[in-house]
Amino acid sequence: MDLKEIDAIIAVAGKTREATIPILQAIQAKYNYLPQEALRRVCETTEITPAGIAGVSTFYSQFRHKPAGKHVVKVCIGTACHVKGAENLHAAFHRHLKLADGEDTDAGLNFTLEKVACLGCCMLAPAVQIDNAIYGPVDPTQAGAVIGDFLASLESRGESGGDGMAEGAAGEVRICLCSSCVAGGSAKTRDAFAREVAALRLPVALRGVGCTGISYQTPLIEVLDGSGKSYRYGKVGEEDVRQILLHHFSPPGMARRLGAGCSCVLDRILTDEAWEPVGRFAVDTDGGGDGAYCGPQRRIATENSGEVDPLDIDGYIRLGGFSALKKCIEGLTPEEVIGEIKESGLRGRGGAGFPTGEKWGFVWAARGAKKRIICNGDEGDPGAFMDRMILESFPFRVIEGMCIASFAVGSNEGHMYIRAEYPLATKRVREALRICEERGFLGKGIMGSGHSLSLKIVEGAGAFVCGEETALMAAIEGRRGMPRIRPPFPAQSGLWGAPTLVNNVETYALVPWIMRNGSAAFAAMGTENSKGTKAFALAGKVARGGLIEVPMGITLREIVDRIGGGVPEGRQLKAIQVGGPSGGCVPAHLADTPVDYHQLVSAGAIMGSGGMVVLDDTDCMVDISRYFLAFTQMESCGKCTFCRIGTKRMLELLTRLCDGRGAKGDVEFLEKLGHSIQKGSLCGLGKTAPNPVLSTLRYFREEYEAHVNGFCPAKKCKKLIRYRVTDKCIGCTRCAQACPVDAIEPKPYSRHEIDAGKCTRCDVCRQACPVEAIEIADEKTASGGG
Amino acid sequence: MPRLTIDGRSVRVEHGETILDAAHRLRIGIPTLCHDKAFPPFTSCMVCMVCDTRKNRLHPACSALAEDGMEIVTGSPEVLEARRQALELLLSEHVGDCDAPCRRACPAGMNIPLMIRQIAGGNPGAALATVLRHIAIPGVLGRICQAPCEKACRRGRHDAPVAICLLKRYAADFAGGVASGVRCAAASGKKTFVVGSGPAGLSAAYFLARFGHACTVIEAADLPGGTLRSAVPEEDLPREVLDREIARIASAGVVFSCRTALGKDVALDGLLSDCDAVVLAAGVTDPAVLKAMGLDAGDKGIRLDSATLSAGRRGVFAAGAVAGVGGRMAVRTAAEGRAAAVAADAFLRGGACVAAKRFCSVVGKLEKADMDAFLSEASSGGRVAPAGGKAAGFTAAEAREEAARCLHCDCRKVESCRLREHSTALAATAARFKGESRLPVTIRRQHAEVIYEPGKCIKCGLCVRATEQESEKLGLAFIGRGFDVRVDVPFGETLADGLKKAARRCVEICPTGALAFERGDDPSVEAGNADAVGGDQ
Repeated sequence: MDLKEIDAIIAVAGKTREATIPILQAIQAKYNYLPQEALRRVCETTEITPAGIAGVSTFYSQFRHKPAGKHVVKVCIGTACHVKGAENLHAAFHRHLKLADGEDTDAGLNFTLEKVACLGCCMLAPAVQIDNAIYGPVDPTQAGAVIGDFLASLESRGESGGDGMAEGAAGEVRICLCSSCVAGGSAKTRDAFAREVAALRLPVALRGVGCTGISYQTPLIEVLDGSGKSYRYGKVGEEDVRQILLHHFSPPGMARRLGAGCSCVLDRILTDEAWEPVGRFAVDTDGGGDGAYCGPQRRIATENSGEVDPLDIDGYIRLGGFSALKKCIEGLTPEEVIGEIKESGLRGRGGAGFPTGEKWGFVWAARGAKKRIICNGDEGDPGAFMDRMILESFPFRVIEGMCIASFAVGSNEGHMYIRAEYPLATKRVREALRICEERGFLGKGIMGSGHSLSLKIVEGAGAFVCGEETALMAAIEGRRGMPRIRPPFPAQSGLWGAPTLVNNVETYALVPWIMRNGSAAFAAMGTENSKGTKAFALAGKVARGGLIEVPMGITLREIVDRIGGGVPEGRQLKAIQVGGPSGGCVPAHLADTPVDYHQLVSAGAIMGSGGMVVLDDTDCMVDISRYFLAFTQMESCGKCTFCRIGTKRMLELLTRLCDGRGAKGDVEFLEKLGHSIQKGSLCGLGKTAPNPVLSTLRYFREEYEAHVNGFCPAKKCKKLIRYRVTDKCIGCTRCAQACPVDAIEPKPYSRHEIDAGKCTRCDVCRQACPVEAIEIADEKTASGGG
Repeated sequence: MPRLTIDGRSVRVEHGETILDAAHRLRIGIPTLCHDKAFPPFTSCMVCMVCDTRKNRLHPACSALAEDGMEIVTGSPEVLEARRQALELLLSEHVGDCDAPCRRACPAGMNIPLMIRQIAGGNPGAALATVLRHIAIPGVLGRICQAPCEKACRRGRHDAPVAICLLKRYAADFAGGVASGVRCAAASGKKTFVVGSGPAGLSAAYFLARFGHACTVIEAADLPGGTLRSAVPEEDLPREVLDREIARIASAGVVFSCRTALGKDVALDGLLSDCDAVVLAAGVTDPAVLKAMGLDAGDKGIRLDSATLSAGRRGVFAAGAVAGVGGRMAVRTAAEGRAAAVAADAFLRGGACVAAKRFCSVVGKLEKADMDAFLSEASSGGRVAPAGGKAAGFTAAEAREEAARCLHCDCRKVESCRLREHSTALAATAARFKGESRLPVTIRRQHAEVIYEPGKCIKCGLCVRATEQESEKLGLAFIGRGFDVRVDVPFGETLADGLKKAARRCVEICPTGALAFERGDDPSVEAGNADAVGGDQ
């Protein structure tokens, strides 16, 4: 190893403890793991100690101490992916890559297989990321095809051109470029548009825009035809691009037009594809579709979605951007700004819902020459991606919100902590910060005033607990992300002891709107103690999921039915999981509960950061509880006894229930331990970890009791079910071909049988069966055992 | 300055003081494990829970700031349950025995591994002192004990058990049975009688004397010794050995009054009017006679109160066959004699009758890896047989050779472990939250003085912070996170590299047996403990 490379990394990152994580990230970027020799060198040449670097490098899940494969396959096990079979998918990749038990990397060091808490592509569930390419939805039979496609794309990969902005454009094509849409293929579609526009020499400008949140239609494009009319198309693939362009725009010159038409026809003939009218893709704008999706929504944090390029600062300014900041620093005192935020009734959108204005007031009043502000972008709820989308699509809005906050509390230095899994958000924010500095919205003397603010990005390294503010500050300081007791609150003693304001991304994003439109306008929306809007990542068993922003007070049923289009046909709404691993399940009969901090708590859930997963009658509530508990247990920092060991014991018990090893008294034991963990844990992660279990125990206790007796009513828990072929079987052998473990012997034209001993309950055969001849029975009944 | 109440008592504190600080001002005890004055609070173990009754919220006292108007309770059922649960969660992953299997099997509860370490270290005088903390007649039992300890010995599952009984006899016979450093507690001014001088009576008398009480033994026969003299064959127990033991007991201050029979020469009422407590250890006695003395007796003798060991009359205790069937192991009878002395001592000092049952962690079934860990430092030799025959006993060299076979499966901090102390006080059990699996027994012996047992670590990080404070070059670090977090030396280096100067500090600050001196607890810790309160049960 060339230690000069390590020294070069240190030269850039610095030699203080706070440089620990950036140094480790840089080393890992270079070697794809952390060679011990490199770490020793860091200790020799910086103030970072061996104990410090060992502690930090083993705390954050991003860091590897063993070499990784050339490519990393990340199977998302976020909530939405979980309910759509992520575990089976992970097992399929494990099989396909021929990994040894307990190993995550193949012998040839080509692929490393990982689970990731959430890729933030819940609409593509179950989703898989290989290096920077995201695939979804992927079913377990496609593992090989996905790897094959990825390897093929490596060979043909070429840098795409610029954004294809044409001079004097007559029309415009807008393409959403958030991570979900890129995952859904929007980058490919964008490249196709660029190619076609160039090939056809069309007077059309291409613009990448921020997310509209209509993830279920991804990739989504909007065409402005030059006459002021707008047309939207959903699920646009490369092959549709030419059709759409020719539908709206004419290439210059008849010959071109003919030529274009010819080649188009020729393409079709050559590929022998069915010719489908382009109208198929148009998003229905009235009734049932997009209109209903957007209807009940109210966009503030995600204002002007789909209209502006995320990094087009002039576009942002044109639509009112930075006018709120200007108003504040030119015409208002900090006290007046704080008063306005207090009046608005804004509460923190990170989960706990502390009144934002009050928090600002504390920091403003705190003694301390130096004050700091932090943007908490460590969204980690596996099933929520609002903050990612806001950072990717509206970076200027968040920055403006932070500028206003820094002015109000009197801070000149801020950090934006963005989680490791959001590279695009980090890239956009970094660029946005550069642009803001260039244009005088950041730096010394903002907009000619006496207020200054410098903002710095800190990239997280993979730890859900860092969403907790004291853990987050520990991470910024270069320590293990372990929370500490409060008080003192950050407002009194925060980052490096300075009074510190910590707000979440969405909270900051709401601030410019409030200051522009007044607190009364904001407070006019919502309920008595929950004002304004809240963004949710709507996912799970709904027809239309995506990122939504709704006025407070709207009922969960309205969200599911009107925005989400209801649960899929033939299924019944069972519960709505709100708040992710800290939240709970609101049962269908309480679906009229409004989105309100207090009422959600009364119903057993919490507002949370914005995860909302719709569950239907095929979802097992014990399995869902176990899923969330497995998540928090894995993410526990390990500091306090109740969280570290208590959640482990709860998880073991839930696993026993799901495996049919439950015993009488288990349910009561679980409940009691859950309450103890709530009361005894140090931080919010531990205190709320039992919520998913306790809320489902409250409403679905009989399902737990059924598991004690060895039955899974939803037929989800693998050890409690058995796959069987019914007499509907036509002997087509598809199940046998699809079965990854040869549990079905192919017997053409006769009824197939599943070897229950070999069967891994991966559900592949049932999905492959064309005549629904595979049923799921209770293991206990089927095996005749008691 | 904030003012708050703790258990109804008002206290004023400085800004920045914790609830624990406030409690200290009032001398209210709150158990802690992860806390040490040398460091800011860490808030890990959660054993120091208290409740603020205004909001019915639990707070970790070591870290929660004392706030104006707080109304703290430290002893409510809810608080005690929370503390117990925190302990039980910690115990659920605790890998290690408090007391070794041999000691658990010993009716007298003798600290066998410590005795063996002292013999192995060439200090039989100290070894005898260790034995005498629980056994008054080691020379006798070294010859006639049926040695249930050896049946429990882990080494037995590998080849053959350690010859514990012969080692005890070696210690007892060394230098004519003179122990080093054995003292009696300061005189209490109380007077006691023990009736009978068999194994139970001798034991009760010896320990009453050690606990500081004047003691006279009433014996009907011509010479003291009871069944030891009358029923045990001379070839098994040479009488000079018995006489030597009785002489040692007498030298502790016990007076023997022979040819004095209870019910003939003296009456129980008469004894009671002349003393503060009586221990009956007269062997098998007719229940009718016992009832006539006003005692609670059934067909099998005196029925003892299970908590106080009281024989049914104030100040009367009983041990041995008088309170049960005869013909049992001598060591059991001897242990009952000691227990009666402990109960009488508690009665005489007006304290709580008998200490609660002491918590004892148990590893459970051993896997091969566990056994290998235990075997790692023991000598591989087979069981040593005395060259001069059983009657001759071990020579010094033989004793040391045999002692080296011990696996030392006890905890080195058997007396000083705070996890055990609090678990005993709160009656915590390890079974409640028992996990699906446990870590293997791991004993890291990479340091000249210190051993590290990761399975006993509660992840409080006190040692991590101590090595940082002492500017240890490598030190100790938290590795990993969550349930699997562990403490280790960075870069996989050895304990010797990690603890170059902070070893003693780390051992002292570690609240459990995770980091301990190889030689075990400082024996003075145990002696002080044992003599002051009657010792571990």
